[in-house]
Amino acid sequence: MVREILVAIAGSPNVGKSTLFNRITGGDVHVANWPGVTLTRTEGYIEHHNVKIKVVDLPGTYSFSAQDIGELIAREFLVKEKPDVLVVVVDATSLEKSLYLAVMAMELYDRVVVAVNMIDAASKRGLHIDFQGLKSRLGVPVVPISALKGIGVGVLLDRILEVAEGKTIRRESLKIDYDGLEPYIYEIARHLRIKGALKDYPPRWAAIRLLEGDDKIFEELKKVDQDLADYVRSVRERAEIELGEDPEKIAIGSRYMFIDDLVKSCVARVRLATPSLSERLDKVMLHPIFGPIAATFVILATFFLIFAVNTGFPLNIILEHLGYGELAGLVEEYSLSGVLGLMFDWLSTTVGGWMNSLGYNGWLTSLITEGLIGSLGTLISFVPLLLMAYIFLGAMQDSGLFPRAAVAYDNLFRRFGLSGRAFFPAALGMGCSVAAVVSTRGIDDDRERMVTAMTSPLIPCQARLLVLLTIASAAFANPLHQSILTVSIYILSFILYLLTSKLLNKYLFKVEHAPDLLMELPPYHRPSLRVIWWYARSNTEHFLRRAGLLILGLGIATWYLLNFGPSGFLSNGNIAGSYAAMLGRLLVPITGLIGLPDWRYALAFEVGFVAKEGLLITFSSIAGVPDPIEALKSIGITPVKAISLALAMNYYVPCLATVAALFTELRIGKYVIITILMELGLALITASLVYWSALFLGFI
Amino acid sequence: MIPLAFLMPGQRGRIVTLDVGRGKARRLMEMGLLPGEFVEVISNSVGPVVIRVRGMMLAIGRNVASRIWVEVT
Repeated sequence: MVREILVAIAGSPNVGKSTLFNRITGGDVHVANWPGVTLTRTEGYIEHHNVKIKVVDLPGTYSFSAQDIGELIAREFLVKEKPDVLVVVVDATSLEKSLYLAVMAMELYDRVVVAVNMIDAASKRGLHIDFQGLKSRLGVPVVPISALKGIGVGVLLDRILEVAEGKTIRRESLKIDYDGLEPYIYEIARHLRIKGALKDYPPRWAAIRLLEGDDKIFEELKKVDQDLADYVRSVRERAEIELGEDPEKIAIGSRYMFIDDLVKSCVARVRLATPSLSERLDKVMLHPIFGPIAATFVILATFFLIFAVNTGFPLNIILEHLGYGELAGLVEEYSLSGVLGLMFDWLSTTVGGWMNSLGYNGWLTSLITEGLIGSLGTLISFVPLLLMAYIFLGAMQDSGLFPRAAVAYDNLFRRFGLSGRAFFPAALGMGCSVAAVVSTRGIDDDRERMVTAMTSPLIPCQARLLVLLTIASAAFANPLHQSILTVSIYILSFILYLLTSKLLNKYLFKVEHAPDLLMELPPYHRPSLRVIWWYARSNTEHFLRRAGLLILGLGIATWYLLNFGPSGFLSNGNIAGSYAAMLGRLLVPITGLIGLPDWRYALAFEVGFVAKEGLLITFSSIAGVPDPIEALKSIGITPVKAISLALAMNYYVPCLATVAALFTELRIGKYVIITILMELGLALITASLVYWSALFLGFI
Repeated sequence: MIPLAFLMPGQRGRIVTLDVGRGKARRLMEMGLLPGEFVEVISNSVGPVVIRVRGMMLAIGRNVASRIWVEVT
């Protein structure tokens, strides 16, 4: 039988922890949530020398203080699940910083392997590290690796197995000299040992944590032994008075002193680093005026590329404007969404024809060709959108550009009760709202995380961009006018994103000041395609698994509403007699408010909830014309109606997949409902404002 | 002794106290911003103050940076 061991990987942000995790597991991973929280838990399996290794990626943290949810989860995992080996990843180029977590880990846990990552970058910068020295000082295996290039990973796995099998056992746990705190540590540890309290933790470690004022452990102690807890509190207070300093400061300072000493004896710098590209780039990125401009420019350029690949826009409009109409058509047709659309059309026609020839021409054929293949097409059409959004986010993060953009935007966002971090979901929202909502989990302030999850779906995603472009092309002949409408909707959406965030902060969460930014700015480096691909793939898969069935199910439900009516199955596409049309007629008084008193628009809005492209599909099937632009023209769209429709379409409700994501991220039904009502309200207000002012000014 | 937020880009200082409340102080200290540590200001205009400490670049919100007291060196 193959033996199985459990290995956990810990590391601070930016040390390459996830890269190592993916390198070890080969990207074949399972993504889930840590129980009860919106924090991603990634795990994978590999086999090494006939041992099956289960690898768990712990949240990236700077310490194990249990100060935030990530730190708490990482610590609880060590204490409760007791992995056979804990790998702590540190950054060779900044050992003086990244060893902090390793030191804390070694105080808490005995089966540790330290992986010193980015040794290639360190030697390039002229850093020589004495790994043997580190190993003997720390008493655990220390393995130089480059997770990015795959250097040393085999050796690391060998060491992991050795530690798991007990071959390299540390003689005693790492002992930091806590200077003046030592007598108090001794006193508390002795009492813990005598009373047998807090048995999950090493007594010395627990004593240090209690002196430092770790609330989590103190609460645990209080539950089992109130007297001892009171005693511990008195020792802590006595220590503070006698030492004249906060024990916490002494403890953290002692750890850093140990690290400084270690680095001094084990790291030699053979030459000084020359002013790097990083510094020159930062002259621009951190400039008060050029920073935001540069960040905006990079984002726009990237999305220009993504949009062009996925939808053809804005390349097609530019080409058309320059007089290359045919080329523009080609760009559109061979964009990813164009190709996917063609593929599913072909599949649907082929299967339909085949079924007809077998004599099936009733509802079953319709269910399979339209319901099943149609919703599968919807689901698959999400893949390039999401993948692109995640590739974009991955590249921005991996290159170190995103944290700079957050710094650049912080000043503007503060006015709306957000920090610069709220810029991530907004930028990602241009790719896909689902990705935007999920990305809010990177924000550590709870209130800011909720607010941005609720407001980022306002930013038009790529699906809405497609609908928007179709509406614009149907109503305006001039490409310039089409572009003006499209760009205005984007600008309005960003303004609404900020404004609604401010309002939610003020009235729902009753907080007005923005959370303070505290963020590491890692050195720039060229993003690694491998890392980005791992990131994009696992996140996209995660979404498909989670929302796939929901989209298929609701897609088929929508098919039923569209194809069945009081008279049963409606053959030959008699959509006007369907349940959906009946519902649409009931909604006409509402769509009438925004100048679209027509059940066909109401019906399109119904279908658009599943996915916003659904609007286009509906217009095509109502009009019986495959091209949605022609379809919209045939149901009599006018410029005013187009603007009203564009606004309403963009805001009336987040799409189904986004609502599903909101549920999993917010975890409070009330907030999801507030989000939906807020969007509906915005749609009604903006669209009716356009309609009524056009009416008032005599345009209609 | 002046707040970190008053330092000009390129200026260096030594941290004296963190006047920011317990939880925040712990977080800052664990990220290497300990009293006694040397910091260099990289950029400081509007928005967060960017500093270098322990070989790492850190962006700190202006509010917090105004309550980190340093001695200019």
